[in-house]
Amino acid sequence: MSEASLPRTEPSAALPRTKSRRRTSSLRRIFAIARKESLHVQRDPQALYLALGMPIMLLLLFGYGVSFDMDELPVVLVDEDATPESRALSDAVFASGELRIAGTARSADAAHQIFADRDANAVLVLPRGLSESIARGEPVEVQLLVDGVEANSAAQLQGKAEAAVRAASLSLGATPAMAMSPPTETRLSTWFNPEERSQLFLVPGLAAYILAIVAVLLTALTVSREWDRSSIQQLFVTPVRTWEIVMGKLLPYFTLGVIAELIVFVTGAWVFDVPMRGDPIVLGLASLLFLLGMLGQGMLISIVAKNQMVATQMATMVSMLPSMLLSGFMFPIENMPLPLQVISNVVPARYFIHTLRGVLLRGNGFAEVWFDLLMLGGFAFVMFTIATRRFKRELA
Amino acid sequence: MTKSIVVEGLGRRFGDFVAVRDVSFHVQKGEIFGYLGANGAGKSTTIRMLSGLLAPSSGHARVAGHDISKAPDKVKASIGYMSQKFSLYLDLTVRENLEFFGGIYGRWGRALDRRVEETLESIGMRELASTSTAALPGGLRQRLALGSALFHQPPIVFLDEPTAGVDPASRREFWKLIRGISSAGTTVFVTTHYMDEAEYCARIGLMVAGTLVALDTPAALKKQWVPGRILRLEGQGLVRALPAVRGLGGVVEAQSFGNGVHVRFDPARTGDEAIVASVRALPAVAVHSVEAVEANLEDVFLAAADAKAEKAIRGAA
Ligand SMILES: Nc1ncnc2c1ncn2[C@@H]1O[C@H](COP(=O)(O)OP(=O)(O)OP(=O)(O)O)[C@@H](O)[C@H]1O
Ligand SMILES: [Mg+2]
Repeated sequence: MSEASLPRTEPSAALPRTKSRRRTSSLRRIFAIARKESLHVQRDPQALYLALGMPIMLLLLFGYGVSFDMDELPVVLVDEDATPESRALSDAVFASGELRIAGTARSADAAHQIFADRDANAVLVLPRGLSESIARGEPVEVQLLVDGVEANSAAQLQGKAEAAVRAASLSLGATPAMAMSPPTETRLSTWFNPEERSQLFLVPGLAAYILAIVAVLLTALTVSREWDRSSIQQLFVTPVRTWEIVMGKLLPYFTLGVIAELIVFVTGAWVFDVPMRGDPIVLGLASLLFLLGMLGQGMLISIVAKNQMVATQMATMVSMLPSMLLSGFMFPIENMPLPLQVISNVVPARYFIHTLRGVLLRGNGFAEVWFDLLMLGGFAFVMFTIATRRFKRELA
Repeated sequence: MTKSIVVEGLGRRFGDFVAVRDVSFHVQKGEIFGYLGANGAGKSTTIRMLSGLLAPSSGHARVAGHDISKAPDKVKASIGYMSQKFSLYLDLTVRENLEFFGGIYGRWGRALDRRVEETLESIGMRELASTSTAALPGGLRQRLALGSALFHQPPIVFLDEPTAGVDPASRREFWKLIRGISSAGTTVFVTTHYMDEAEYCARIGLMVAGTLVALDTPAALKKQWVPGRILRLEGQGLVRALPAVRGLGGVVEAQSFGNGVHVRFDPARTGDEAIVASVRALPAVAVHSVEAVEANLEDVFLAAADAKAEKAIRGAA
């Protein structure tokens, strides 16, 4: 052990004079932090699996397993008319194979019990007097009761049942009229997703959700980990600045986020034939802004939480759940109660999903999505500003 | 001699609680300055203020010529800091930890590599460069932390209980390093509550409940706070006879210490032989060995803590 080589009394060289030198050492500090952070990721590859495995797993899970396209939607048939005509109509409706008779009931009242038992999602009622209406050439009124709890499949069911009834009654030479409960709303998806394939609708939502998980959860842990280990003290006694820490820490996670995003899009296009009808540049820009916003949000959580447990819980509450439930990914925003609709305005996933669906499925460009981009950019800016400010204040 | 650290009336409160009260001192360049105090005395709080981590609530301090309140960034660039709680990254190797701190201080490329090698050499951990920090025993972790604190060759280094919980052999090794950096001109500000370590310091400040109650060289402190001569007696029945020993003429204090007793007396009033003879004359006492010993800092510390209230009154006058 040589004692003489440690000490050196020359004045510290860490105070550069010129602006460009200051910028250089700023870059070096950011790089040093980024490198350290990626070492953490390598040593604890859980984060890596999360970032790269999660997108593929979720896509396949949602895409195949939990596909909302049930080939045979179970429907309970209530044939109040019980005539050859009504039987012909019901045969025709179920002939396509899209709908399946899950059972029969005597009256529509029995439907409530069926919903409660979860035997079917819908009840098709062929009312008394149906055969006479057909004979008189009058519009036929068929009633479809849909279980509103299953909001997502309900919308699909409506569409399919509507199409099946219309086709069946046309083949019988009748003019159909549908009385729906709840009333049908025209969904854009029906327009731009003619095959009614829910993957097309799902992939953009998933892209947002996956990115939210990866970006927020990973970054939420980075600063809180330093609090937990009390290494933050050691960091803050160096000339490093808070924004440099924020930048350096985000670099590796930004890279991971971009890779995760690419995985989602490539898998979406490849496995589920999600089209790319719009401008890829708009898509890239939206992804970038959304990713930055999510990283910023994760960083803010991490700074405020000060320990990893709280950080994870906060990330779930303020980012992951809203990205899934309030973004229009699972449930249409228009169907939400008003307070939730209001909250959804500050859920960035909402704007991102809107842009993605527009660009991928409808071929939208800047003209249609500029507002979404603005909101995404604004969110990212606000997150970073608050994060850097809070960081400074939390220490003293 | 130039002053590395100048502290004037420094104080810090947390809400109503005063952690550090009106502390003033200065530290010479290249000096080993020890800061001694019980748990919660305010040692870490003082260091954190001097390192620019914590803003003082009152008073001023200049570290390496920079005002800690006005130019904390310049202070940070001129100091090394080793926090009380180990705070390097356990999942990184020894080398990676050093490289990280090098990068933070703007080192790069070959200059960085060279400095990493130098540091590894100086803390004697060259063979352990690729070892995971988590696998290091406490003593080596502390040495690595010292290496990181000194990586950018700061003129001043703050070490907050650098040897807490480390085995005695490693502590001695560690202090060898500290003496080495000091003799090469680096100012060392170190806190400890090991009294034996305090002996290594050129000067010591004693903190009691946020107040600096004494500050001087170890020898001067002993002379001031524990005056007199001390004899260490070993034998039989000594501990039971302590009250009687305290009553002997000229005896200031008598305490049991290890397997013997320490008797402190005023040499102007009595002498070694007289004391030993008087003790031997006590009933049921046998004295097997007699040895003159130095006062230790433990005694100084206890005396200073007792006198704190009195000093506060004198200080106010
Ligand atoms: N951030 C804080 N908020 C409130 N009280 C604090 C804070 N930091 C320190 N204290 C209090 O100030 C007092 C002095 O703490 P300090 O850490 O300086 O003591 P110390 O001398 O370093 O003790 P130790 O030997 O335990 O490290 C303690 O009572 C502590 O509880
Ligand atoms: Mg302390």
